Amino acid sequence: MIEKGRISCLELALIMYATVATTAILYIPYVTAQHAKRDLWLSPIWGSLSGFLIVVIIVILSRFFPGKTLIEYCELILGRTIGKIIAFLYLFFLLHDTAIAFREYGEFVESAFLHKTPMLFVTGSIAISCAIAVHGGIQTIGRCALLFLPIVLASYVLIYIFLIPDLNVKNMLPVMADGVMPSIKGSLAPHAWLSQFSLMSFLLPFLTNQQKVMKWGMFSVMASVLTMVLINLGNLFLFGDIIINLQFPVFEAARFVSIGSFFEHIESIIIAVWVLGGFIQLSAFFYMLVLGTSQWLKLPSYKPFVLPIGFLIILFSAWTIPSFEDMIRGMGTTVPFYFLTVQLLIPILLLCVAVIRWKKPKSFLQ
Amino acid sequence: MCKIRAIKRTFTLFLLICLTSIVLTGCWDRTEINDLALILAAGMDKGKKNNIELSVLIFIPHPQQSGQGSEMSGGKSSGQSFVRSAEGETVADAMARLQEALTRKVFWGQNEVLLIGDKLAKKGISEQIDFWMRHSEPRIRADVFVSKGNAKTVLKTMPELEKDASKQLRKIVKTHIGVKVTVKDLLQMLSSESNAAVLPWVENLSPSQMDSKKAIPTINGAAIFKDGKMVGRLSDKETRGILWPRNEIKSGVFTISFKDETGYISLNLLRSHNELIPSIRNGKWSMHIKTNAELEVIQNTTKFNLFDPNVIKKAEQKVEYEIDQRERFVFTEVQRKLKADIFGFADEFEKNYPQIWKQKRDQWNEIFPEVAVSFETKVNIQRTGLADGKPKRGAER
Amino acid sequence: MKVVGILVVTVILVFIFLIQRRGLARSEKRVKRAFFSIMMVNWVFAVLLVIFPEMPGPGQMIDFIYKSFEPFW
Repeated sequence: MIEKGRISCLELALIMYATVATTAILYIPYVTAQHAKRDLWLSPIWGSLSGFLIVVIIVILSRFFPGKTLIEYCELILGRTIGKIIAFLYLFFLLHDTAIAFREYGEFVESAFLHKTPMLFVTGSIAISCAIAVHGGIQTIGRCALLFLPIVLASYVLIYIFLIPDLNVKNMLPVMADGVMPSIKGSLAPHAWLSQFSLMSFLLPFLTNQQKVMKWGMFSVMASVLTMVLINLGNLFLFGDIIINLQFPVFEAARFVSIGSFFEHIESIIIAVWVLGGFIQLSAFFYMLVLGTSQWLKLPSYKPFVLPIGFLIILFSAWTIPSFEDMIRGMGTTVPFYFLTVQLLIPILLLCVAVIRWKKPKSFLQ
Repeated sequence: MCKIRAIKRTFTLFLLICLTSIVLTGCWDRTEINDLALILAAGMDKGKKNNIELSVLIFIPHPQQSGQGSEMSGGKSSGQSFVRSAEGETVADAMARLQEALTRKVFWGQNEVLLIGDKLAKKGISEQIDFWMRHSEPRIRADVFVSKGNAKTVLKTMPELEKDASKQLRKIVKTHIGVKVTVKDLLQMLSSESNAAVLPWVENLSPSQMDSKKAIPTINGAAIFKDGKMVGRLSDKETRGILWPRNEIKSGVFTISFKDETGYISLNLLRSHNELIPSIRNGKWSMHIKTNAELEVIQNTTKFNLFDPNVIKKAEQKVEYEIDQRERFVFTEVQRKLKADIFGFADEFEKNYPQIWKQKRDQWNEIFPEVAVSFETKVNIQRTGLADGKPKRGAER
Repeated sequence: MKVVGILVVTVILVFIFLIQRRGLARSEKRVKRAFFSIMMVNWVFAVLLVIFPEMPGPGQMIDFIYKSFEPFW
């Protein structure tokens, strides 16, 4: 096997949580608020549907082919030629997705702090650190997640605890003033983010305990959705109607913290901690892409490809997205459809063909 | 062989660490503290030639400041800060002009006060407020004020107790005697359904309250905005009245008297809670304002025994009446004359009657003055202070 | 400026190659081929991007394909 490291179910859940939630809490409030207005906290709940659906599909597929990733069983299910093509499409999507994730990270750091630093330095430097983690294998990333994510989570919670005096629950009323449609429209972006749970298939083969995968996968989706809902609610309570105009409400919320006029201006700490989460997320994406590519090429090791693919990711992150506005517009319009077609349709297609060909997963278990 | 490899390994590792430490530290955007001009307060005025005159209060850092005491006694210019101003078409434009005359880079991160001159306030502030939200340096927690006369002159004042005008205004507003509005609150008020805003009004302290002739800025009432333009002013007393329905009242002293008794009882407000209950019946819009207040007695100059439940009841009724009066007083002014919905009635109606609101939203300006307002005040006297109930001191002989 | 850009890209790629060199020397031919093709792709794209920074990329392609979905939403 190409990867020798093993991760626990908790580490899997944490890595997937970081993959989805880290950038989701930054970008989703703005993008959903454009459609959902005051109901933006409902949107992730609708979005969770695709998250749960994808986890179920991926877990069933992994029952068909234990120890294999999506790229590998793609070929087994669809045959050599079609399988290779579909797997390539998926890999290309993953490259694009990873590039977008790096760009999201870069854009945020740029607009928050380093206004004048060229983007390539911001994304490039995190890519080098991620490359070291990826080189260490999945176990390294898992342990990092285990170490860092509690701190990251605590910092999110702390922001809103510090802001309790400024939160106004009444801001969420009236709930669903224009019916349920605006929140469903706004759920496009959460759908896209949560559909990234299809990437779980790259991690499932390396679990020490295969029994409780479904439970932990669901738990991870639930945690991500809950985080998005709570962050959206917190922002709504704090900012009310002006949330529609704020690009990074979470960042603004961190800037707003002021306790006794000495404990304030803490956004730098919050962002530094956030970068830890970003590091896990980007390493996970990076790792999946490197692993997928070497599996697609049927290579014995992925390690020589970490740096070249890292370079490719940075290239793509500069190339695919012309500007920040373009990225934000894309998130609300075209990108979610792209994410959903690739990450939802391909696994569904694979599952259908697998069920038709083998009926039950058990018959394939040796 | 093995040794060479080990050396090579350490070398690559060393190179990698060097590389990451160079790029990861973010030194591209480094800003040294002694390259920054820290802005403590900003003022916006209507310019003479251009749109905007931006004045800023800049902090002068003094390393190893030993004789702070002597400086305080130095009097007029304490030398801790100075004011600069520039004109421009927009705030950002004026800031760029300001930068030209400064050796250090303007830094907004510590700006806690935003003053708006009354001339600009009357002209409209919605466009200029965008800068404070969009730029990544200014904080949206900064307090906003409207000043009588030019904001620049207010910034120039040197209060006795505080270091500069910025600190003075911030500390005063923190006492919650008047309204406290941050940039965030202002943005929220301007974008809310009611489209009205209220900002604290800064004036010079009246000379009768001071021992020397000096300009000391203080808060005296509030300015009322409608559609982003200042339309009127409330006196200090009226401002106290609007704090009740806005649920912002944090402290206050009531002094009441009785018909059949000489002397007064003064009570201190401990906490209060306010609720707006809107209702629309048969096309008639009305608002019920429910106030719950808890007080304690701090002075009693009447002959009443405060341990007598009847006296407490009487006093409670009196305070209820008093609070009612304060609220009614301001309502006639704000609702009938200024027609500005600074109480957030519009939002309450929207929250409770979203369907009706959607149809009537455009007519709100006509509806608001006609909304029937009723009050219900409940007062609870919690304690009677440290002294006992009787006004006479000493044992009764 | 463009020459400098191309040079920098080339230097970075050569650097990556130098780091990976020993690992590659011991691996199979297939790995080497894959490695060098990815490096070639990297170099070509990087140089193209340096010369034509406004080159339309996959992002525009996705936009083009999925724009037709927008009216349904």
